[in-house]
Amino acid sequence: MNSFACPGFHSAEKFSRRTLLKVGGLGMLGLTLPKLLAAESLAPGSAVSMPKAKAKSVIFLYQFGGPSQIDMFDMKPDASDKYRSPHKPISSSADGIQVSERLPDVAKVMDKVTLIRSMTHKMLNHNSASYYALTGHAPPVDDIRLRDTLDLAPAYGSVVDALAPISGELPTFVAYPHVCRDGAITPGQHASFLGKQHDPLLVLRDPNAADFSLPELSLPNGVSFERLTARRELQKMIDGQSRLLDYASAARGMDAYYEKALTMLHSDKLRSAFDLSKEPEKLRDRYGRTTYGQGLVLARRLVEAGVKFVTVYFSDNIGGQSTDSGGWDTHGFNNTHMYPIVEKYHLPITNQTLPVFLNDLDERGLLDTTLVVWMGEFGRTPELNKQTSRDHWPHCYTTLLAGGGAKRGFVYGASDKQGMYPADKPVRPDDLAATVFHLLGIDPRTEVMNHQQRPLPIAEGEVVSGVIA
Amino acid sequence: MPTMPRSPQQSLLWRSALAWTVWLGVTVSVKAARPVAEEPVSFRRDVMAVLAKAGCASGPCHGNRNGKGGFKLSLRGEDPATDYATLINGLAGRRLDFTAPADSLLLLKPTTDVAHEGGARLKKGSREYEILRRWIAARSPDDASAPKLTRLEVTPRDDYYYAPRTNAQITATAVFADGLRRDVTTLAVYEVSNVAVAEVAPDGRVMRKSDGETTVLVRYLDQQAPVRLAFVPRHPEFAARKFPQPANAVDEQVYAKLKQLRLNPAGPCTDEVFLRRAYLDLLGILPTADDARAFVADTAKDKRAKLVDTLLERPEFAESWAMKWADLLRLDERTLDRKGARLFYDWLRTSIASHEPIDQFARKLVSARGSTYANPAANYYRNLRTPVERAEAAAQVWLGTRLQCAQCHNHPYERWTQDNYHDWTALFERVDFQVLENRRQDENDSHEFKGEQVVFVKNSGEHQNPRTKKTSVPRFLGVPTPVGEWAKQNAALVSTAATPSPLNGERGAIASGRASSPSPHPTLSAPSGSGEGKASAVPAISGIAWPTNAITGPTDLDALAAWLTSTNNPLFARSQANRIWFHLMGRGLVDPIDDFRSTNPASHPALLDVLTAELAKSGYDLRHVIRLVMSSRTYQASSEPTKGSEDDMVNYSHNIVRRLTAEQLLDAQSEAAGVPLEFAGFPDGTRAGQMPLLKTGARRKSSPLDQFLVAFGKPPRQTPSECERSSEPTMTQAFALISGPTVQDFIGEKDNRLAPLLASGKPAGELVNELFWNVLTRAPSQPESEKLVALLDTAPNKRAALEDILWGLLNAKEFVLRK
Repeated sequence: MNSFACPGFHSAEKFSRRTLLKVGGLGMLGLTLPKLLAAESLAPGSAVSMPKAKAKSVIFLYQFGGPSQIDMFDMKPDASDKYRSPHKPISSSADGIQVSERLPDVAKVMDKVTLIRSMTHKMLNHNSASYYALTGHAPPVDDIRLRDTLDLAPAYGSVVDALAPISGELPTFVAYPHVCRDGAITPGQHASFLGKQHDPLLVLRDPNAADFSLPELSLPNGVSFERLTARRELQKMIDGQSRLLDYASAARGMDAYYEKALTMLHSDKLRSAFDLSKEPEKLRDRYGRTTYGQGLVLARRLVEAGVKFVTVYFSDNIGGQSTDSGGWDTHGFNNTHMYPIVEKYHLPITNQTLPVFLNDLDERGLLDTTLVVWMGEFGRTPELNKQTSRDHWPHCYTTLLAGGGAKRGFVYGASDKQGMYPADKPVRPDDLAATVFHLLGIDPRTEVMNHQQRPLPIAEGEVVSGVIA
Repeated sequence: MPTMPRSPQQSLLWRSALAWTVWLGVTVSVKAARPVAEEPVSFRRDVMAVLAKAGCASGPCHGNRNGKGGFKLSLRGEDPATDYATLINGLAGRRLDFTAPADSLLLLKPTTDVAHEGGARLKKGSREYEILRRWIAARSPDDASAPKLTRLEVTPRDDYYYAPRTNAQITATAVFADGLRRDVTTLAVYEVSNVAVAEVAPDGRVMRKSDGETTVLVRYLDQQAPVRLAFVPRHPEFAARKFPQPANAVDEQVYAKLKQLRLNPAGPCTDEVFLRRAYLDLLGILPTADDARAFVADTAKDKRAKLVDTLLERPEFAESWAMKWADLLRLDERTLDRKGARLFYDWLRTSIASHEPIDQFARKLVSARGSTYANPAANYYRNLRTPVERAEAAAQVWLGTRLQCAQCHNHPYERWTQDNYHDWTALFERVDFQVLENRRQDENDSHEFKGEQVVFVKNSGEHQNPRTKKTSVPRFLGVPTPVGEWAKQNAALVSTAATPSPLNGERGAIASGRASSPSPHPTLSAPSGSGEGKASAVPAISGIAWPTNAITGPTDLDALAAWLTSTNNPLFARSQANRIWFHLMGRGLVDPIDDFRSTNPASHPALLDVLTAELAKSGYDLRHVIRLVMSSRTYQASSEPTKGSEDDMVNYSHNIVRRLTAEQLLDAQSEAAGVPLEFAGFPDGTRAGQMPLLKTGARRKSSPLDQFLVAFGKPPRQTPSECERSSEPTMTQAFALISGPTVQDFIGEKDNRLAPLLASGKPAGELVNELFWNVLTRAPSQPESEKLVALLDTAPNKRAALEDILWGLLNAKEFVLRK
């Protein structure tokens, strides 16, 4: 295995920043990297210009396993039997955009979204391709063994937490309700070399469960807020005796997290955001009483409260062989067949939840400031396999964007006749990453140092300005 | 600065500093003008330097693997011949216009006369511009045969500048193979490590930005050299005479630098603090209340030294270092399997417990072969499945060197070239694994192995250098002689290194002929005197036959073992001495500890020399170096800084406060609360610090204890680096300490430490006292005692009040941090 490949070298960064941070330690002043970056970005005449933010928040809906573009958003009705979907295309609320007949409600919100039909890369394995999708960085190898190590790039949300965190009682980055695995843990779901402090607030609980709550935000049995406050006073008295807070930055750093944790424990705003019982039952029904459906209710509530980056994982595994759980990986293995499965599970869930969610955001005026990204790690083969199913196809697939500065009712790029390869304006995950950061007001060329003290631009592609309204 | 009133003395200093600057400025410009005016422009020496200086050949610009805008230069000018061809042949002559040099794209682009994505890099008429223009005007000749650059000399090497001085001058002199010396101050590139401290102008002038230390990396063509500079403030509190008498060579070196920096060292730490430190640093656990009270009451003068001697012989010491090595050597269940990981852990622990010298330990590991069950040391290679992983791990673990960059291009900050990398990797090309059985649970996980394997060295297999597309000849890092030849020249050394040791009784039985193999990668010749039938370096594998393509005699790995720990290789002892220092002091003299390179110099080079010499002289005795460090005043200093040294993080003016490691913290909580841990699959009471392996695997559910350890930075053992262990504070940690399930269990457990205290009926003062000694290793202060006694005396529910106090103690900074 290529244990330390060099992904960071396709950078388009200005020279000045690189020279800043690379030799040796940071010296007597003990400046840490984030401080240094902050100091620099404040400096007048700084080389880095921050784009104006169009999106306040991002909701990243990750479709693990790889949904079939041909059967959803990029139908090829004129292709031969070997390629064509058994489903028919239907018109949508956007002029000239057709989607699958199995997504009739999704069709009604196409006037609110941008489809990128020319997404492309070369990673055929779930873990490599997922890492690419979740970070925007090409993995060093295309291999199921791609291991989740500190060499790999951080999740989008962790970069946002490091470079543009929100202050106060809310976390910047929340992810739920799964950790994706394909054999090993899929890389790209945490902060990696940026440091654990930028990991997401990870909620591994089912938002569709009756007793859904955040354990971190609940006090242990028998401990009231008053008692916790009294305990904190005892702690402060003992800390006062040791004087560590006066002279040790390690102590002060830790205490800052105590303050934030206690603020969160006391935060009605955050607790309330996680309290799905505050949501009208009828609306919850409309989202769908599924983990995914209620997960999107939660996503809306979190963004409404002010959380900046929410990642919702559709499933914890690639799935594709079951009609009641799992991801989109419908090869037809073990004598299963793709269509009975997606018709029963994946497409109905998507058709129910996605439009309700987008409309709900829009009606509350949140869609303009919230970028929704719906994507998997790749699409599926335009050609049907022997099981009348489809295999992995990263060469051309579709990603859906909505809100947060993306155009409405728009298709960007195009696939060729059979949907094999991009025919127009190919977009790599690198470019999508640059676009997401750009819309959030973060310069995609900003560099962070990895654990080898090697500068790595947060995104290595070009902003796809064609999708921006 | 100029507005401040100055004493006559300061004023004098100030004026002389000014004069110095002016004088330097003049000198530089005079020197700078000369080569341009008098000599023809050299492509290799001048043009390449300008391309580097202007940033053209840097990674983000045209040095990028794919170039930029259709123009690709070699990264940092590592390949002048190709760059020359690129310039000459590019764009049908538009890049270089011999008839109208100023119209060459090479000049129009960097001056932005033609749009340039990289912005303005050259000023028209500047010295750099003129070099390029004159070179083009001379029809752009190459001078490939020009004598090579052999050395870059810089001044100063390291220096201290005292306020009010605010600037300095770096000079760079290039020395070429023909003996020519040339001032290249204005052609060299300067990079500052700590940009908060200083900036360096293109002509080598250093301007202070704030007080502190920084390294300036000076680069010219393919050579680079570091300059260490410090701007020292006035520190009116500094008292040169208030330095304590150094206790040993450690203090001598540390104090010498502190004096230069005008920092006073902190006073000595208390017995209580020393005791807690010693327990945590040597054993990873807390002292018991009784041991602590006895130590504090002891009036013997040498009690600290005696304590260290005692602790060094305790089994927890070996466990604590075995864990460190288990992290580095990546003991996990997934690849080593449970049995192998346990055996390997026991091997590591036994080696440390039995005082095995570190060099012998290293030799056994790098040359280990055979069954991963019968010869546990062979597990060293089991988690390093590819030549590249083996090569990088060996460099990082044993030489403190990160080679990774050099896989794809010459290392940007070190002398290692891509060729060095691949020659070193070739050494590990033939290591292979015979998988005797694999009962892996996850079919898709090709890194999962469950079952016995035989590590062996094949008699064939070549490593290709991707740059030259040729077979790499195995070479030790930085050694020009190929391994085979080196082994012949050092036959005695190789055979000594391969001598069976008492810990490795299984070595020795098998000896057989070696298969032949084609040049240029011959198998290692037998060291003279160790012929067939004699004890060889091959460990037996009980009842298992070697694979037919295995070399059963000595191999390159035995030569590696010999070279690694020989005096020919200074990096081994230095990096291991630095590791010990890091473990005790919280920061490497070279830091990070596995990033030794000339451009990342030690903070105290002479101190590292001392430790290295002591390690070698003592026969690579880990305990000897630990004793030396721990008996210094530097180790025994308080963590509370003196006035003026508050910001010092690297000069050991005071002890560095750091968080307990994940395992230490969990074990300390368990001990303090009197509630033993329960890890599934291990006997009750097994401490976190005794866990031999890291449980991993897709199907495994992690327990709250595991989650706690991960949250506090227990490394996943995926890289051979101590940096993988994280000590950063996080939200998750704060929640875990405030209201997490493990802490709740410790506090709420009915039979915890609070139960007998409550039952004893002792007065509140005694209960408080007992709790403090158990949790914080000290008596409560008077205010603490008064407040807590009052709390207990008035509490309606005494148990609840004690629980609150225990929570407060477990959450106290001095509990979570090593003070």
